[in-house]
Amino acid sequence: MNKKLIYGTAISIFVLLLVFFIPKYLNGNVAASGAQISGDIEKVEVYHFHATRQCVTCKTVGAFSEETVNTYFSNELKSGKLVFAHVNVDLPENKALVDKYEAKGASLLIGVYGKDRSFSKQEDTNVWYKIGNEEDYMNYLKGVIESKLSGK
Amino acid sequence: MSLMSFMEAMSMNSFPLIAAFFIGLMTALSPCPLATNITAIAYISKKIDNGKKTLLTGFIYTLGRMVTYVLLASLIVYIGVNVQSISFFLQKYGERILGPLLIFIGLIMLNLIKLPSLKSGDRINKLKEKLSEKGYFGAFLLGVLFALAFCPFSAVLFFGMLIPLALKFSDGILIPSVFAFATGLPVIIFSFVLVFSVSKLGSIMGKVQKFEKYIRYFVALVFIIVGIYYTWRIWI
Repeated sequence: MNKKLIYGTAISIFVLLLVFFIPKYLNGNVAASGAQISGDIEKVEVYHFHATRQCVTCKTVGAFSEETVNTYFSNELKSGKLVFAHVNVDLPENKALVDKYEAKGASLLIGVYGKDRSFSKQEDTNVWYKIGNEEDYMNYLKGVIESKLSGK
Repeated sequence: MSLMSFMEAMSMNSFPLIAAFFIGLMTALSPCPLATNITAIAYISKKIDNGKKTLLTGFIYTLGRMVTYVLLASLIVYIGVNVQSISFFLQKYGERILGPLLIFIGLIMLNLIKLPSLKSGDRINKLKEKLSEKGYFGAFLLGVLFALAFCPFSAVLFFGMLIPLALKFSDGILIPSVFAFATGLPVIIFSFVLVFSVSKLGSIMGKVQKFEKYIRYFVALVFIIVGIYYTWRIWI
């Protein structure tokens, strides 16, 4: 086979794909993902989903999240306005919760219940970048939970 | 700005290809892909007598990863396969099979297990032999298989970050391709380094070739060690 032909084909395919997809990239930003609930908040749930066998990073995400809610939101936890739990996705009794949140494995998911019975959920993937610094992690998650609790 | 916050900022870049690239880099640095990439580097180092070939093998390994990631993303983006079920399935089985498979390949390379001979004369088998002799076919297969091995953390990066990105722009091809390229980048860089050092050491290469048998044993050992690592993590 002619080498130049192969390289040429590969490059032209790549260029064609770019031409096809770049307009999509530029337009796609308009549609923001995840409907936000604004207004009165009934309750916020923070769930750390994990499998039976946990990776080191997954354990850290769970531990830091638990510490964040215990340190900054003990009143909300007591009053039930905030719920936190580690959820093992492998256990059958958790299946309903896993399906409701559509957890895809180890993840930190935050659900918000509005007083009008609305519900929205959001996966927070930013926390995975912050596991190297506990203070950063806790400050970040504190901010996220605060804004959810206040319905912003 | 720390490396992590840089990676985080880049992974949220509004241009999805840049974001995909940095999510891929993060994946390349996470434990499971790192282990598979080290194995791939060992495999590629097996034949270092020809610089161009070594380089190409690195690229073909990455191409193998690309095929898997594009296929997975396309299944989700274009056919609408449920992300949750595909993610759970791969995390459950992909990882479990990998360890024993690596040990098996290592044992074959040590000639402790003999595969049934493929010399049945038909064309496909001859083609297979030709390809595997050059190491391209093997590298491609390794790429395809290794990309299927999802650990919890690499699953977060792929299913939690990359797939939402692909869905948002309904692109199951280019975004996962760029991601795949970044996950294979350490292997490509290493092949460059290897080619460079080989051309520097060209004069003693004649001697090195004599040690090819030992290099093969070493590679087999890497396969077995990485295989035991996976098996131990998952099964024990």
